[in-house]
Amino acid sequence: MADPIRVCIVDDEERFRDTLAKLLSRHGFSVRTAGGGQEALELLAQAPSDVIVLDVKMPGLSGEQALPLLRAACPEAEVLVLTGHASVDIASAMIAGGAADYLLKPCPTEELEGAIRAVYDRRQATRPR
Amino acid sequence: MNAKNSTKPEAGPEGFAFPPLWPHTVLAPGLAGAAVLATLLTPPAVDVALALVAGAICIGSALTLARRIRRGEGELREMDLRLLHSQKLAAIGELSSGIAHEINNPLAIITQELDLAREITADCQGLSDEDLSDARDSLREIAKQVDRCRQITHKLLNFARKMEPVLQEEALEQVIEDMALLVEKEAQGRGVAIARDYAPDLPHVRTDVPLLRQVILNLLTNALHATPPGGTITLLTRRADGQVSIAVRDTGCGIAPENMEKIFDPFFTTKEPGKGTGLGLSVSHGIVARLGGSLAATSRPGQGATFTVTLPL
Ligand SMILES: Nc1ncnc2c1ncn2[C@@H]1O[C@H](COP(=O)(O)OP(=O)(O)O)[C@@H](O)[C@H]1O
Ligand SMILES: [Mg+2]
Repeated sequence: MADPIRVCIVDDEERFRDTLAKLLSRHGFSVRTAGGGQEALELLAQAPSDVIVLDVKMPGLSGEQALPLLRAACPEAEVLVLTGHASVDIASAMIAGGAADYLLKPCPTEELEGAIRAVYDRRQATRPR
Repeated sequence: MNAKNSTKPEAGPEGFAFPPLWPHTVLAPGLAGAAVLATLLTPPAVDVALALVAGAICIGSALTLARRIRRGEGELREMDLRLLHSQKLAAIGELSSGIAHEINNPLAIITQELDLAREITADCQGLSDEDLSDARDSLREIAKQVDRCRQITHKLLNFARKMEPVLQEEALEQVIEDMALLVEKEAQGRGVAIARDYAPDLPHVRTDVPLLRQVILNLLTNALHATPPGGTITLLTRRADGQVSIAVRDTGCGIAPENMEKIFDPFFTTKEPGKGTGLGLSVSHGIVARLGGSLAATSRPGQGATFTVTLPL
C-alpha cells in the first residue's frame, strides 16, 4: 500500500478540525491538527506534511499571515485554503501567495478529499521524487 | 458679480444641480431699486408708469426666484432621503454578507458531523460500541451547531426588526433587579459578587421594559464573562439633568484600546468561535438608541470596564 497522504489541518474551530481529522483518518490519510498558524509552524518543524488545509480567519496568526511562513517552513507541502469567508480579494491574494486551491465552507467531505488528492497528485506530477 | 456666479447652476453633492437663479437674483432687487428711484427722480406723469413696469417685472422675478428655490430645496431633500436609503442598503448588504460568513462556520461543522454520522450508520450490522458512541456524539453536535445558527439569526432579527418600542412606566431598579437575579446564580458559581449602588428615590422611567431588560442582560453577561473569580460586578443608577443612567461596572479584563472602537460593531467578538456572536453590544446599542438614549463604554485594560446606558426621563 502506498504511503498515506500526510495532511495538516489548521483551523481555530476545535470541533471542526477534530471531526475533519477523524473523517480523513478513516479514509486513509495521516492527519495532524493545529489550532492556529503558530501551532502549525511548530508541527511542521517536527515533521513535514504533504497538504496543509488552512483556515483564513483565526486569532493570532491569520491564514494570510501564516501562508508565507508555512510555505517557508515546509516547501514540499501544498496549501489548500478552506474558509467560511468568501472574498475574491483574499482568495486571489492567497493563490498569488502560493496556495494551491481555495475552498469555501461548508464543503462536503467528499469534495474536500477530492481537492486534497488533486493538489497532492499535481504536486507529485510536477515535483517527482 | 452675483450674476456671474449664477450663470452656472450651483452643483450640489453627487451631481445635484440647483435650478438656475440667474437672472432673477439681479432683476428682482435691481428693479425694486429702479422703481423707488423712478418715483423719486422722474416727473410725476412718467414715474407712475415707470414704477408700475419696474414693480411688475420685480414681482415676477421675485416669484420665479421663490419657485426655483422651493424646487431646489425639494430636490435636495429628496436626494438626502435617497442617500440615506442607499447608505441603509449598503449597511444591510454588509450585514448580510457578515451573516453569511458567520453562519458558514457552524454549517461547515454540521456538514462534517452529518458526513461522519452517515458513514458510520451506513452499514448498521457491524456497529461497534465506539462507532455507536461516535454517531451519537455527532448527532449531539449537529443539534448544538444548529442552535448556534439559530442564535445568530435570532439576534440578527432582533437587530433588524423595525419594532416600535412599547412604552410603559416602570421602576428602573425593578428592571435591573429582574436581570441581576437571572445571572446571580451563575455569578456565584464563578465566584463573582454582584453589588448594588442604586440612587435613592429615582422616578419611574417610561420605556420599553422588555427591550431594556435585554440590554441589561447583555451587559451583565458580558461583564460576567470578563470577570475572573473574586471579582465584582457593580450595578449603579444615577440621575442628572433630566436623564437617568444605568451603569454595569466590572473588575474584569477590560477592553484593549484598539478594540474600543470595534466593540459595538456587529460580529466583533474576542471570544472563541462558538462562544461569542459579537451581536450583544451592537444589538444593545441599537435598542438604546431606539429608546432615545445612548450606550457608552469606558475601560482601563486589566482593571475592568464600565458600560453606561443613559435614558431620557
Ligand atoms: N464587560 C466587558 N469587559 C471586557 N470586554 C468586553 C466587555 N463587554 C464586551 N466586551 C468586549 O466586546 C466584545 C463584543 O461584545 P458583544 O457584542 O456582547 O459580543 P460577544 O459577547 O458575543 O463577544 C466582546 O467579545 C469583548 O471583547
Ligand atoms: Mg456578549
